[in-house]
Amino acid sequence: MERLKQLAINEEGFIFDPSTGESFTTNKTGLFILNLLKEGKSQEEIVESLVSEYSVDRETAERDVIDFLERLRSYNILPKGEENGD
Amino acid sequence: MEIKIGISGINAVDNPGPGIGVAKSLKEAKDFKAKILGFAYDAMEPGIYMDWIVDKSFIFPYPSGGHDAFIQRLLYVKHTYGLDFVMPVLDAELPVYIKYSEELERNGIKTFLPSLEQLKLRGKDRLKEIAENIGIDTPASEVVTSYDELYKAIEKIGLPVMVKGAFYKAYRAYTTQEAVSYYNKIVAEWGYPVILQQVVTGDEMNVVAAGDGEGNSLGMVGIKKMWITELGKIWTGITVKNEKMLLAARKFIEIYKWRGAFELECIVNNETGKVYLIEINPRFPAWSYFATGVGVNIAANIVRKAFGLTVVDYPDYEAGKLYIRYTDDLVTDLERFQKIVTRGES
Repeated sequence: MERLKQLAINEEGFIFDPSTGESFTTNKTGLFILNLLKEGKSQEEIVESLVSEYSVDRETAERDVIDFLERLRSYNILPKGEENGD
Repeated sequence: MEIKIGISGINAVDNPGPGIGVAKSLKEAKDFKAKILGFAYDAMEPGIYMDWIVDKSFIFPYPSGGHDAFIQRLLYVKHTYGLDFVMPVLDAELPVYIKYSEELERNGIKTFLPSLEQLKLRGKDRLKEIAENIGIDTPASEVVTSYDELYKAIEKIGLPVMVKGAFYKAYRAYTTQEAVSYYNKIVAEWGYPVILQQVVTGDEMNVVAAGDGEGNSLGMVGIKKMWITELGKIWTGITVKNEKMLLAARKFIEIYKWRGAFELECIVNNETGKVYLIEINPRFPAWSYFATGVGVNIAANIVRKAFGLTVVDYPDYEAGKLYIRYTDDLVTDLERFQKIVTRGES
């Protein structure tokens, strides 16, 4: 979570990590999830928010969130082995 | 206040010397007016012709040519044009300038350099001890002076392995045969000892900084190399704030009372959070203008300190600032080349 908190995220989906100098880009949905993660929301809460915010069924939302969190872990933005953003 | 400053390393080529970046930084200081004297070793060094940065240039004898020729040249510059301060930026010059710094000072030419004792800290055989003292890691390494030790070191560290000279050159060897061949190459060119070092993975991050000789920082900036040339020189970079690396640089200044500019070369593994110290350079790197560009004018602070002016406190800089090096060209008259060749000065 430490690394996630220090990320500079702009509204166009450009993400910069000031400690590593790495930068990433993400889409609107990714941005939505990242901001919820920064607020400390759990995986479950993020899925709920996605379902209520976008016209997407629960199963798809869950799959996308898991997929996205896994991607963050692979970039070491989330610690490996951590189940969700809590 | 006008200060006439001699700067070497004005060879702004594909393996650039640090001089032009330092000169640009000094020109930007507002509290003193820097007149830049370029000290070149060849009439083709581009800095000689960059008259918007370098006000006048002189051809110098190589420092290895002995005390008399070198000092005489400096005194000539002092007497004919004026010279208040010299900022040598090339490794080979440092021992000479340090050794004769008192003599230069007596002649009204100031320097701001580490002691000879401090200069020895840059030896790769001292890295482990320094890294431990400043709270970071260093790749496993072994100092070797014979084939027997070389084989034992490879057994201990494993392959691939970096084969390095104490001060210069580094090769990556994938087999024992390769390691032996690089070992011979380094011994032939630079002598003993040779250092075998574990290959560590991560991002190449550096710190440019300077110490005031009393344990205080004169400014520091951390960067990550994003794009390098075939020679390993930075072409694109970004400012970063790796706290562990910056703290190590502060400790280095504090513990060793480092005097003058230096660069810490590190490899940072973001997965483990480990910062490995790879090298200490006792001078400005070629990209030092990057620091000035983000508001930390380290070169100007060195001059301020040397002349008793008020040192500027640079507590912070912004992470995420980009550095882009680019090539440029200029067209000029042959007379300028003729003049520097025949008279030894521009």
